[in-house]
Amino acid sequence: MKKKGIIFGGIVAAVIIGIIGAAALMQTGSESLNLDMGRSHGTVSTAMGSPILGSESAPITIIEFGDYQCNQCYNWFHNTKPAIFENYIETGKANLVFVDLAVLGRDSLKAATASYCAEEQGQYWEYHDLLYNSQEAINNGWANSERLKAFAFSLGLDMELFESCFDSGKFNKRVQFNINEAKKQGATGTPTFIIVNDKGQQQKIGGAQPYAVFKNVLDSMI
Amino acid sequence: MLQPVKLVFLNYQYIILAAAIFVGMLIPLSIVSEFIFLEPYVVAHLPSGSELSFLLIVIVSALSGLVLAMNVYRIKLFRRSTKSKISGGVFGSIIGAAAGACSCGPIGFAVISTFGTAGGVATAFLTNYEIPLRLAAIAILVFTFYTTSKSLSIECKIKN
Repeated sequence: MKKKGIIFGGIVAAVIIGIIGAAALMQTGSESLNLDMGRSHGTVSTAMGSPILGSESAPITIIEFGDYQCNQCYNWFHNTKPAIFENYIETGKANLVFVDLAVLGRDSLKAATASYCAEEQGQYWEYHDLLYNSQEAINNGWANSERLKAFAFSLGLDMELFESCFDSGKFNKRVQFNINEAKKQGATGTPTFIIVNDKGQQQKIGGAQPYAVFKNVLDSMI
Repeated sequence: MLQPVKLVFLNYQYIILAAAIFVGMLIPLSIVSEFIFLEPYVVAHLPSGSELSFLLIVIVSALSGLVLAMNVYRIKLFRRSTKSKISGGVFGSIIGAAAGACSCGPIGFAVISTFGTAGGVATAFLTNYEIPLRLAAIAILVFTFYTTSKSLSIECKIKN
């Protein structure tokens, strides 16, 4: 009886230690728990990408593979995206997912990581827009750690949470997953777009092309 | 300065050569700089804020056509070695072509993939200093044009 009690006590202790260990690992773990691990659009896994901009039930998804330091992404953001947002995203015809292809330097990776720390506080797209509105020359310091924290501060994010997230590098693997996914999809430059509709049709558009091109493709896929 | 230009381009073959060099540089440079897209269909696009960049590409291409055609004329007509002048023209053309071409397009990605960090630094340099590099290329091509014109004037007088 005593022996059985010791074995039972040992099992209970092991389970408790296991639970405490798992909880500790999750706190210092490598990824956010707030992810739809199965999310994909067409052949593209967007599980680790941005939250969806626009209606989740929109019949078309525009997947943008981009880098916060890429000047062509800046061009697309300022010259083409506003019209797409107004005519397709706001009207519920399409939604947008941003997947990082952060390869232009160390600050590209940091900026992508910081965007997911902003997502933790529900401000991914505000932070994303702020980065593209603040873009300067590649690796000149505009997206270094201090500036990225300053951007978060200017959005009114909880700085203790943001800094702890950013300094831990907990989203590094998420960004790396996105880079690998972009390469797997054949993206050889930024921005690259894959447009997917609800019938499973896919169309790739390379580069910061004008609104007219996107309009033609989107209209043909609705 | 204009006399040697007239002399060279009186022969229509050199007009064709200069035009071929101009178009042969302008179109590929416009493609790599994302002013022309080939897919999903051919479209030209000049985003706002990129006007100066495009203008410099046009100037580099035009000067390359002019300088290289004049040097070919000089080589063919006088059988003189113009190695320094033609290499000045080629050098200027290459600098003008490389500046900004790496950016975030396929060439930049290939450079980064192949050369890693060094490729990244080179790509960043060529992108960040696109305008000054193209201006430097234009300066080299203008200087080469000046020396070629001067040489042609002197050589033609001697020959006459």
